[in-house]
Amino acid sequence: MRILFSAMLMIFGAFAVFAQEQAPAGSAERGYQAYMKYQCYTCHGTVGQGADRGTGPKLAPNPISFEGFVRQLRAPRQDMPAYRKQFVSEQEVADIYAYLKSIKPGPMLKDIPLLNFAGK
Amino acid sequence: MSNQTIDRRSFLKGAAASAAAVIGTQLAATDTAPAAAAAAEVKEAEQSGDKVISRPGSDFMVDVIKATGIEYIASNPGSSFRSLQESIVNYGGNKKPEFLTCMHEESSVAMAHGYAKAAGKPMGIMAHGTVGLQHATMAVYNAWCDRVPIMMFAGNILDADKRRPGVEWYHCVQDPAAIHRDFTKWDDQPLSLQHFAESVIRAYKIATTPPMGPVLITADGDLAEGPIHDEKKLRIPKLTISIPSQGDSGAVSEAAKMLVAAERPVILADRMARSQEGMKRLVELAEMLNAPVVDIGGRMNFPTTHYLCRGEDRRALIMGADVVLLLEVADPWGQFNTISDPHHEYRRLGKADVKTIHISLGDTLTKSNYQDMQRFMPVDLPISGDAQATLPALTEAVKREAGIARRTALADRSSKLRTDYARMKERARAAAGEGWDAKPVSTARLSAHLWNTIKNEQWCLATSGIQWNRNLWPATEYCNFLGGSGGSGVGYSAPAAVGAALANRDKGIVTVSIEGDGDLMYAPGVLWTAAHHKIPILMVMHNNRAYHQEVMHLQKMAGLHNRRMDQAAIGTTIENPNIDFAKLAQSMGVWSQGPVTDPGAIGPALSKALAVVKRGEPALIDVVCQGR
Repeated sequence: MRILFSAMLMIFGAFAVFAQEQAPAGSAERGYQAYMKYQCYTCHGTVGQGADRGTGPKLAPNPISFEGFVRQLRAPRQDMPAYRKQFVSEQEVADIYAYLKSIKPGPMLKDIPLLNFAGK
Repeated sequence: MSNQTIDRRSFLKGAAASAAAVIGTQLAATDTAPAAAAAAEVKEAEQSGDKVISRPGSDFMVDVIKATGIEYIASNPGSSFRSLQESIVNYGGNKKPEFLTCMHEESSVAMAHGYAKAAGKPMGIMAHGTVGLQHATMAVYNAWCDRVPIMMFAGNILDADKRRPGVEWYHCVQDPAAIHRDFTKWDDQPLSLQHFAESVIRAYKIATTPPMGPVLITADGDLAEGPIHDEKKLRIPKLTISIPSQGDSGAVSEAAKMLVAAERPVILADRMARSQEGMKRLVELAEMLNAPVVDIGGRMNFPTTHYLCRGEDRRALIMGADVVLLLEVADPWGQFNTISDPHHEYRRLGKADVKTIHISLGDTLTKSNYQDMQRFMPVDLPISGDAQATLPALTEAVKREAGIARRTALADRSSKLRTDYARMKERARAAAGEGWDAKPVSTARLSAHLWNTIKNEQWCLATSGIQWNRNLWPATEYCNFLGGSGGSGVGYSAPAAVGAALANRDKGIVTVSIEGDGDLMYAPGVLWTAAHHKIPILMVMHNNRAYHQEVMHLQKMAGLHNRRMDQAAIGTTIENPNIDFAKLAQSMGVWSQGPVTDPGAIGPALSKALAVVKRGEPALIDVVCQGR
């Protein structure tokens, strides 16, 4: 059973890598415009950082695989609304993904003095 | 002193000798000759332009209000209570109570709401008959849902024969409290001054007996403006406050058995603590059991620095719990179950066999129409009693129930719980660091800067729609967090914060609030009230230029209806033009800066604002922020 599970993980991982590689070309600049137009920022923040009170999870930096991203966008789990093809084109999805991939990490937690107070 | 009505002509005639002597003579005459007095009243009625009433009923009403210890009455002036207002100012010296000028009855009530939570006692409000009461309703509903005491006085003229034609009729009503009765604890419309005295004292007692709530007394305009008749017979009853009830001792023992035997107990506290003592009692119980506490936040129940404070782990804790102790939880069902939005898919969070204990007075104060009672949840051991009052007995019962071996086992939980707490805090800090340099400013960064500004003060965060404060700030005092609005009625935040700041003003507590832009625009006139009455408060705008939650609702509906997804801004955003909150505040005498868009500029702006607040004035910093 454990072997089967491991094999499935490997297959899934390989598929994820393949899918990641197969992400269509997109424009980060156009993606930002689409991200704002479709108001993704309202739940996920303008740089994909996620939001307070569990509104929307963090998307960037290091977004999930393109395949997982598309799946969640088109047929979402939990409370997120569906962004279907007739309203958000495949190119726009690729652009939004490119924008998320372009987002650079912010400062390390240890380098933010204002956040080094709580729980100590 | 049966009648102090004095004809102005008679008064002036006697003035050459002694005004006081004339008053005395007049009063003596009326004491010994009621018929003559009645005749004099008729004459006065015929010459109403000359009538003087030197001891109106409203003076006695002020005496009654003073007897309750109410220090402030917030109000937008209205003619139906003009006599009472005049008596507060001239007869009462405008002290205890002091009249606070508000620009909307909703602000008056919300101020009283915030004040009561910070002061631990009610203040008064006055509302103009009909129209003022209608303006006040939403804020009263918030106070009702939040179980907060407010002493409300309404103007009215019940006797139609005494009303002037026109507007006065529009502003009079047969049953002034009818519009509020679904969400007030008690009301009365006294028909005599003695009736007024007894009803006000009764109302105060009812309002402050847990579960607390707003009460409404009508101060009849005719009764207030007319003379006091036979004042020697008037009595103001002694005010004594009820002792909160403790849960049944047998039930408390049973609860202790369940909690001691539990392997994964969890404590949920909502509107539990009324004071620092309440927090201390909960800490004692939680430490005895080594049970994690989820502070739902209706009140400040538990120190955020304590290793058992685990609010952010609520879902995981509920899912794993075998026994859950609920303390004055407003929505018990919602702690164990979820319904997804918008598809309404039900999901159970708690185990099927989880045992529940609820110490609450919730069932003793419910009404049928408004659904603030939340969804019904069967509880294994419901204990009707005040939670704070019951905790000492419960802790003692736990000590008795736990033998030495069990106490050792309970203590052994500590190490893992401390590790779990540290991880939870680390996750919160890591999440707060995401988007740190983003523009608009992240709400986490706003929260962190505000903490950095007030960390060396004794502080109170009166209102905030941001969760980061509870997740990040080290809070150990009851005054630190005041909880939410109760009914989630928009327009609460700014006036409630100003009311809290009023209560904190003399305690040396720095009051801060994080204001939503949509919320503040409901009744921004409270900024003027804060400036006019020199109420020091540091307001920080969480200005996301939208009714942000509604944007998300529109997106959900578009997705559900399979329609275009780019139109959710219509009717939900507050842009084009952008509101300049700094100018808005400045126009009403509040020191202000903004809009701040550079994250690096927040700290210096807040430092300047704090200096203003510490010299006794309100200040506002407008920060353009992320949605949430």
